[in-house]
Amino acid sequence: MRLLEYQAKQIFNEHGIRVPKAVLITKSTGLPVLPLPVVLKAQVTVGGRGKAGAIRVVRESCDLASVLADLFRMNVKGQAVSAVLAEEMAEIQKECYLAVLVDKGAKLPVIVASGQGGVDIEEVARVNPGQIVKKHIDPTIGLQDFTVRYIARAMGLDDWTGLRVLLDQMLAVYREMDATLVEINPLAVTPDGLLALYAKVILDEKAAFRHAEQYTRLKLEQDSLTKTIKSPAECLAADRGITYVPLGGEVGLISDGAGTGMLTIDLIHDLGGHAADFCELGGLGNADRMRQAIEVVLSEPQVRSLLITLIGGLTRMDDMANGIADYLSAKEASVPLVVRMCGTQEEAGKAILHEVGIQPYDDLMQAAKKAVELARNGS
Amino acid sequence: MAILINQDTRALIQGITGVVGAFQTKVMLDYGTNVVAGVTPGKGGTAIHQVPIFDFVQDAVEACHPNAAFCFVPARYARDAAIEVIEAGIPFLVLTAEGIPERDMLAILQYAASKGTRILGPDTPGIISPGKCKLGVHPNRMYKEGSIGVLSKSGALSYEVCKTLTEHGIGQSTVVGIGGGPLWGMTQRSALELFEADPETKAVVLLGEVGGNMEVETAAFIKERMSKPVIALIVGRTAPPGAQMGHAGAIIEGKEATAHYKIELLKQAGARIANQPLDIPRMIHEVGV
Repeated sequence: MRLLEYQAKQIFNEHGIRVPKAVLITKSTGLPVLPLPVVLKAQVTVGGRGKAGAIRVVRESCDLASVLADLFRMNVKGQAVSAVLAEEMAEIQKECYLAVLVDKGAKLPVIVASGQGGVDIEEVARVNPGQIVKKHIDPTIGLQDFTVRYIARAMGLDDWTGLRVLLDQMLAVYREMDATLVEINPLAVTPDGLLALYAKVILDEKAAFRHAEQYTRLKLEQDSLTKTIKSPAECLAADRGITYVPLGGEVGLISDGAGTGMLTIDLIHDLGGHAADFCELGGLGNADRMRQAIEVVLSEPQVRSLLITLIGGLTRMDDMANGIADYLSAKEASVPLVVRMCGTQEEAGKAILHEVGIQPYDDLMQAAKKAVELARNGS
Repeated sequence: MAILINQDTRALIQGITGVVGAFQTKVMLDYGTNVVAGVTPGKGGTAIHQVPIFDFVQDAVEACHPNAAFCFVPARYARDAAIEVIEAGIPFLVLTAEGIPERDMLAILQYAASKGTRILGPDTPGIISPGKCKLGVHPNRMYKEGSIGVLSKSGALSYEVCKTLTEHGIGQSTVVGIGGGPLWGMTQRSALELFEADPETKAVVLLGEVGGNMEVETAAFIKERMSKPVIALIVGRTAPPGAQMGHAGAIIEGKEATAHYKIELLKQAGARIANQPLDIPRMIHEVGV
């Protein structure tokens, strides 16, 4: 879960990390009471706000209302703007980059730092890799002073003790919140010390059980302030916690594995068709999930045929067949159904499907061909 | 021979009394896996499918001498379970759970490295050396003993491809599921190293997908160190950027994460590229295996 900037800054604030003085504005609140000039930043969870014009500086009080109104009308990469963070302008001597994240290759937390801030760090890495320093942290050793001094030199900072305090605070956020990324870009050097001008925090949703109350609160806040434009099928899938990616084609797809799901969308493409979606149940799908997944995929009006491709390991085919049968006993399918079924408990699964009049395929390619053909003829 | 597991493997199952653990243990026993012990705290002294159950891994190690472990424990308890196996000195652990917090995975992987335990997973169906031993949840009928090594990020995709191979009369030495990421114990490279050294394996099928950049080091290894032919199938050629395609690690962020980039990289490293499972038997014949 990527936090909104103001949420990340609240967490920074709680951990003692300096952030600019700020006010959160929604459509229902009044104009901010802050000394001018002020920076207005649209609160969205997608990147590239600056380039999209969703960060604006206001110098005259007469411009404030109109710039705010502009921002509230904006749509940043599919996200409507419902909240704006108004921040005091800081006196900036230098802008840097600082982040703590998981290095997946080294399997260790890593500090990434650069004396160049406020720009895309990927771009710095590509054009000027010498400007970036990376230091892994061995959890049994912790962060040593010499490492901090080394990073401070690479960033061009005169005072490493301030950096030591900041890094300890960032590492506390990383650890205590189960974050996978804690990023400050730009990190400003000001006459009063280091200041986090922007904060990006990504929380590990797999660890939500350790932070149930806090994660839920952050999520609810976020949902009330961000509006991503979603189709009814996407909303239904999100409500039910089903993996569903709309792809815009006409062949509806449900698979019991991510890899076979991706293989099938490729096969459908190679056969001249277009997948309507990617929807997979993961290793532990049960009858209920299957029935719900069919409801999700068929709620997309473009779908002309439905291909269910199953190859059970952990997933039991009798469970999957029961889910399909449950759906069909409640209502007639709006489009022709093609099922490919094999794997764990397949005899039991096939017997259940026969009873509801479905002859499952054993071969994936044949099933995909049939589904593409039905979608073509049906449209 | 085969890699990692064979007829001498003595398996310990963690979470053997859960619904999934009990059922899948039975399927493993039916396949011929030598399951010597199970562990479920509080159920020590009992048995299931005639396999003795212990409260602690250490007790099971002293009584039954397992040399591999398979963990059915759910994600939120996986850290505790895995550390217990590592501390007991078992050299090989398969972590099947999906959704283990990243911080827990880092702790597990670091402790495993310091104690010399090899971790397979997480989010993996496990590993099977057909005809010898299965430490996993694979559907038994898709496999046949032979000389093709298979390694995959996706469980279901490996079943799919092995079904095709078996139907074409092509058997497998070992099929390794490294898991869906985004953090891995064994990597493609570490599995390839073992296949390269295994006399029974004549060629390797590499099954990959969009997301991450593991294939960069994999391709370098294939180019510099693999003498055996590699056939690669990378799925998600038509996946949209930025969308999470089921697996935690399967998301296109940046150029290196696309199927096309990986395919190009592997092709340049000398791997043959399959577009679909049915291409693979033909390619295996072409390389003369």
